[in-house]
Amino acid sequence: MPNIDDFIRPKEWVSDFVSDMGKVLRRWGQERYVPIRQQVDEDWREHKLIKPLMKEVLVDLGINSAFFPAEAGGTDMPEPMALTTVICEELARIDSGLCTACICSVWGLTPMILKPHRNMELCLEFGPKFCGDELYVGCHAMTEPASGADVENMGRLRGKTIQTTATLEGEDWVINGHKIWPTNSGTVGDLYVVVCTTKKGSTDPNDFALVLVPADAEGVSVGNPYQKCGMSADMNTDIWFDHVRVPKRYRLHGPGDDLKYWRRAISIGNIASAAMCVGIMKSVYEIIKKWTTERIIAGKPLKEHSMVADMLSEVAILIESASAWKWCYARDLDHPEISGWDPWDERFVLKTRGLALYANNAVERACSRAMDFMGSYGYAREFDIEKHWRDQKVIGLWMGGKGLKTLENARYWYDLETL
Amino acid sequence: MALYPSQEWCDEWKNALNNDPAVAETGKNWGVGFNGNWIFQVEPGSGLEKTAYVYLEAAAGQCTDAQILGDPAAKDPGFLVIGSYSDFKPVVKGEKDFIEGVVKGTFKIKGDMAKIMRNAKFIRAVANSISSFKNEYLGE
Repeated sequence: MPNIDDFIRPKEWVSDFVSDMGKVLRRWGQERYVPIRQQVDEDWREHKLIKPLMKEVLVDLGINSAFFPAEAGGTDMPEPMALTTVICEELARIDSGLCTACICSVWGLTPMILKPHRNMELCLEFGPKFCGDELYVGCHAMTEPASGADVENMGRLRGKTIQTTATLEGEDWVINGHKIWPTNSGTVGDLYVVVCTTKKGSTDPNDFALVLVPADAEGVSVGNPYQKCGMSADMNTDIWFDHVRVPKRYRLHGPGDDLKYWRRAISIGNIASAAMCVGIMKSVYEIIKKWTTERIIAGKPLKEHSMVADMLSEVAILIESASAWKWCYARDLDHPEISGWDPWDERFVLKTRGLALYANNAVERACSRAMDFMGSYGYAREFDIEKHWRDQKVIGLWMGGKGLKTLENARYWYDLETL
Repeated sequence: MALYPSQEWCDEWKNALNNDPAVAETGKNWGVGFNGNWIFQVEPGSGLEKTAYVYLEAAAGQCTDAQILGDPAAKDPGFLVIGSYSDFKPVVKGEKDFIEGVVKGTFKIKGDMAKIMRNAKFIRAVANSISSFKNEYLGE
């Protein structure tokens, strides 16, 4: 009988090692996380339960160190998207909030740690922290209160609305500004990758800057966690930077290259978001399969009723299609020699927006349809459909929201000139 | 100059491992509380006529045994690595990264993957120690 492992995962693209890492995460999730999953929802303010579990994933299972270079103590995994995709699927199947918190620990650092654009000096400085025995968490601080997703709309706004500034004074960058909503902000993150401009209002790519700021630097302050609809394992707060000084070398690359390699992080984020959607949908699939098999209505299992079978079919198709598409783009990023895409290509960012949008819509539809057929049981906490239903919504809201994803996808496929 | 694979080569490897500070430092937790022993199953080809089994016993940063096994069932390893002679040779020569080979599927591996991920530094140090002494190879 088919199960979640029968949805598309091209065997020739995913090594046994990567698949086995997925199994490790699945086993860990079943044993360590699922028993307290409902309690995690109440832990949004303090993360007393979540932080030790993040340590188990990021430190004990080696996810934090996976992509750091060997010289910096990392595993230096090749084909980063294959592993990222599997991690996101497996963790999101357990809890997409936990997945977000874990994967975002290194997401903002990808312009710094991935080949061929590694900043080895910074890898050697921060690698031992991320690859050590203690939990050390990264946070990608992008969004700002005034401009929201505009920061990510680089194709049209080109950084014009970024209000967080990096000013070079002697041998230091001085950071001033206000970020809002970053994953792992508040009491979780130890190192921020801050999206800044060196000149307010500029659209010059050279003025876009990615600067590392340790969370304990003087002048950094954070707000209280936001209480959200879902994804409680992902802590989001405001961060203020008030004349925060960091060494000049903390700028990841420099004029032009910061933006160039940041684009790769955005494409990674789009594909990882889609993988999370697939992971959630796989969990939904498991729940509704069990439910519609065991629940007997009018003398036969629920799934044997044609309207229910229609819903089950739709959910399976959504998973299969999103999964296949996501693997294709992950492969494109991991193998530029085959795909022809530079991983930081601006147009690849636009293209991956379509995948993220499709997967967002798919998971929203799958959760909603499952709840329709489970009725009040689906709405009850006991069966976790309502958890996925609450958690998944934000995947469609982050990284520019559905509006930006739609526009950029159209921009790619139709050469839009004004949007 | 030891022929890879042979008992003489295993002795050289054991000696190299036990004189490598990187192995001692990065491997201090390896094999502690779990079976950290390995069998490398080297499949024929490129001059190797029949499957060879290289057994490596490692714990707490020390190698306590390295030998060619006649019968792989004689040992119960925590990790089994399977690959062809032509794929193992570049690793032994220090030309290719073992972990990259594992991740990309060049080598099949059976065992606790989380231990591999968590102890990548040690595994890389073990692999690097192989190329610290001179070897000769079948078929060359």
